[in-house]
Amino acid sequence: MKLRTFLASTALTATLATGALADGHGWSLKDAAAPYAGTTVDVVFLLRPGYEAIEAMLPAFEEETGIKINIIKHPYENALGEQVRDFVAGGDLDVALIDLVWIGNFAENDWILPLADVQAKFPDTVDPELDIDDFFPLVLNAFGGWNDTIYGLPVDNYSGLLFYNRCMLEDAGFDGPPATWADLKDVYGPALTGDGKYAYALQSKRNETQSADSFARMIWPFGGSFLDADFKSNLLSEESQAGLQFRQDLMQYMPDGVVAYDHAETVNGFAQGDIAMITEWSAFYSTVVSPDTSAVADCVEIAPEPTGPAGRKPALGGFSMAVASQADEAEQAAAYLFIQWATSKANAREYLERGGVPARQSVYMEDGLEDFKFVPALVESWQDGVPEFRPRFAEWPEITEIVQEWGTKMMLGEVTTEEGAMEIGERMEAVLEEAGYYSGEKPLAQ
Amino acid sequence: MRDKVSRRTIFAFIGPAVVALAAIGIVPLLYAGWTSLHFFNLTKLKKVKFIGLENYWDVLTDEVFWQAMGRTFFLLGTALPLQIGLGMVIALVLHQPGLTVLKTLARLSLVLPMATTYAVVGLLGQVMFNQKFGVVNQLMGGADINWIGDSTNAFAMIIFWDVWQWTPFVALVLLAGLTMVPDEVEEAARLETKSRWTVLRFVQLPFLLPGLVAVLILRTADTLKLFDMVFTLTRGGPGASTEFISLMIQRVGFRGFDQGLASAQAIILLIITIFLAQIYIRVFYKEV
Repeated sequence: MKLRTFLASTALTATLATGALADGHGWSLKDAAAPYAGTTVDVVFLLRPGYEAIEAMLPAFEEETGIKINIIKHPYENALGEQVRDFVAGGDLDVALIDLVWIGNFAENDWILPLADVQAKFPDTVDPELDIDDFFPLVLNAFGGWNDTIYGLPVDNYSGLLFYNRCMLEDAGFDGPPATWADLKDVYGPALTGDGKYAYALQSKRNETQSADSFARMIWPFGGSFLDADFKSNLLSEESQAGLQFRQDLMQYMPDGVVAYDHAETVNGFAQGDIAMITEWSAFYSTVVSPDTSAVADCVEIAPEPTGPAGRKPALGGFSMAVASQADEAEQAAAYLFIQWATSKANAREYLERGGVPARQSVYMEDGLEDFKFVPALVESWQDGVPEFRPRFAEWPEITEIVQEWGTKMMLGEVTTEEGAMEIGERMEAVLEEAGYYSGEKPLAQ
Repeated sequence: MRDKVSRRTIFAFIGPAVVALAAIGIVPLLYAGWTSLHFFNLTKLKKVKFIGLENYWDVLTDEVFWQAMGRTFFLLGTALPLQIGLGMVIALVLHQPGLTVLKTLARLSLVLPMATTYAVVGLLGQVMFNQKFGVVNQLMGGADINWIGDSTNAFAMIIFWDVWQWTPFVALVLLAGLTMVPDEVEEAARLETKSRWTVLRFVQLPFLLPGLVAVLILRTADTLKLFDMVFTLTRGGPGASTEFISLMIQRVGFRGFDQGLASAQAIILLIITIFLAQIYIRVFYKEV
């Protein structure tokens, strides 16, 4: 969905919300929730700081509304499968937690309700202060929107950032982080690698980490992409190949076995002072700056990801929460109230301070955010991100498995970047053909 | 005796077990058979349709499936002989007379690896084989071996854990077989020859064969469906180096959500398992 379409959709939603509540001056969460007190809302949370932040804030919501939030925790890798099975079986989930690459899947299967439909169905629940325009447009579009319709409100949002160890860089004679990927490899790499220390680590384990954090991160800044305008593979293009070859060349400055590194190993390596720079999600900021979990807390600095020949194309990740269509009416209303509260402008500051990363523009304009070093880089990255960093269509779960397998084989040297790209391209196109993109059955949208 | 028990009583005793087995085992199998004949993707349920044997054709002509199958049989071919060899040595040692208390303790300790949950074994492996902090590298004099991120080492690690966990099972089964040998036969044999190999080959081995066949069948089936430990340890990686057949089926069925294709893979795997079990029984099994 293009930005213009998104803005039109957003304006429509905002108009509907404000129109429905033209006389909503006396709105309060307590009154709005009164008819639904005693309702239990089932929601999936991940084992990440952003969800711990909401969980810590929940007692206030439950006390005020009488709505009980039942949290089912999953590691990221299990979250999609668990939710798909729940929705297919007509299970208990009332809120869908949607990664930006899952939204096509959820929306096309009608497992989630459009935001406007929920607001029209339960007008009394809509907070006049919702202010949907306050969300970063890129984030709301990418995480909550599908086919010109907003389904979910963004929560636990990430941009890829460059975390660097200022002390290690200064010891090596650098007074700042690399501005470009080429500098990172050619200048910082040799100077910071040796004696068991490494200049950089790129988390590349064979799961979504490989496809999102490693593979996609390297093709976009070099001008590459997964697909061209006709939805054919673009991985053999000169630009995509340049990015993939760059990743191979950069591995000499990474720890052995980085192909088995997930977020935990990468963040821990950085937090123990073994790795000078990592490109990680903003969600891990609280881990690396806490003295409880980081030996280099005082040395951590944050910058936007380096630029490549095609500019800065930072990784984009994160989630939205949407009301599940399988929930009954009371649960849908209660679920909407919870989502609205968790992503609200009023709670954004507390969410941030407790370790979450809100997508509200207004919170980042407030004073007193000096302690959150990632904020300037994050805000800059969200101006420049690529919504289709990973294609957002319903076929992504099949395609990511292909990328994971052949992406790791490339890194291990079992196939060349050309051979790997050819394999991924052929298999990816077979999936897209089966789905009906080439026959015109489905629009070329991502 | 049989005449005195009414058919109703027999059905009353056996019926619930048959119904339970049918509900737990047969119904899901039939359902898998049904889905294997359909395009059945959990995220595309609006498109479910009968496609005949197309899923089976796709599986049989998919080189990735056969690569995973080859990997699985390579694991079976390396781990199982090690388990049988080591298990036999342990069983023979524990079969020696004397040191009763120590042998009892040894038998008890043999149960521990088997009692450890597969997934926990995988998590243990992640910690113990960590390149930097793992105890394995520390025990090797601070070696810097990349266990989990290297294709060959990761495969060796899987073999190690499988042997660690299941050698005790083989040892206990074989020990049970050794206790079946009548004492007077074994003593007579020892009077005839001093060769332990001769006693083992001609006196003890016939009593071990039923247990050995059971070990072959159970361990083959277990290896073909080995999942939890590998999933938590390597998730099939790096690359595809530890993607065994069960991991592949799980990936297709629960991460790609193609239940039809995954069901076809699972049914082909079931046929292979039954075929192997039949071979084991025909070739090795003999009544003592």
